[in-house]
Amino acid sequence: MPMKPGLRKLALTIHITSSVGWLGSVAGFLTLAIMGLFSREGITVQATYLGMDWLTTYIILPFSIAALLSGIVQSLGTSWGLFRHYWVVVKLLLTILATSVLILHTQPIRSLGREAAAKPFSATDFRETRIQLVADAVAGIFVLLTATALAVYKPRGLTRYGWRRQREQRKESAPEKSSI
Amino acid sequence: MVQSSPGSDNEDYVTPRWVKVFGTIALVLILIFAIIHLTGHGLGGHSLHGMGLKP
Repeated sequence: MPMKPGLRKLALTIHITSSVGWLGSVAGFLTLAIMGLFSREGITVQATYLGMDWLTTYIILPFSIAALLSGIVQSLGTSWGLFRHYWVVVKLLLTILATSVLILHTQPIRSLGREAAAKPFSATDFRETRIQLVADAVAGIFVLLTATALAVYKPRGLTRYGWRRQREQRKESAPEKSSI
Repeated sequence: MVQSSPGSDNEDYVTPRWVKVFGTIALVLILIFAIIHLTGHGLGGHSLHGMGLKP
């Protein structure tokens, strides 16, 4: 169902803001994760993991859900559709993947924050988990950049469903044209 | 991308090349990820035990 221009602009504004905010906050998370991994000052490491817990819960997670939902609304409310064009489908899958991985990793990040609050870490404490958080953030940025590039370039290509719909629309409009 | 002559009923559906390339890369990445996890070379799991947060 097509949206009215004013509503469409509002939905697009929400989608762009949440998507860009998501990418920016994951970049911030990566900075903190690197700082937490390499810093030798206990208080800095402690503050870093506490900050990462808050950043994930109150910024990254809300932005990711807002980006996913506003993207679905945006595609359903415009002629692009949700399953007609490959770039929309691929972007949707990437967003679902990134949000799922984020939700899956929220609990360990929260636990690491609690552990950091209880006592300062040494360089070797939870090292594998701390390396994994850096890797997660790098992978997240890569996925979000890919999604952004897809939205900007919009590579051509109809899905099988989109192709069928286009043919049906052509057939419907053909008799109208011939009758004019 | 659809190879067709406009208005023709004999159009053939063709999957775009970029989708095939993208799908192949995604498949390879998923396979690498699965192999790393199955062989136990991952950096941790998703549980507190797996993430090394509990003894």
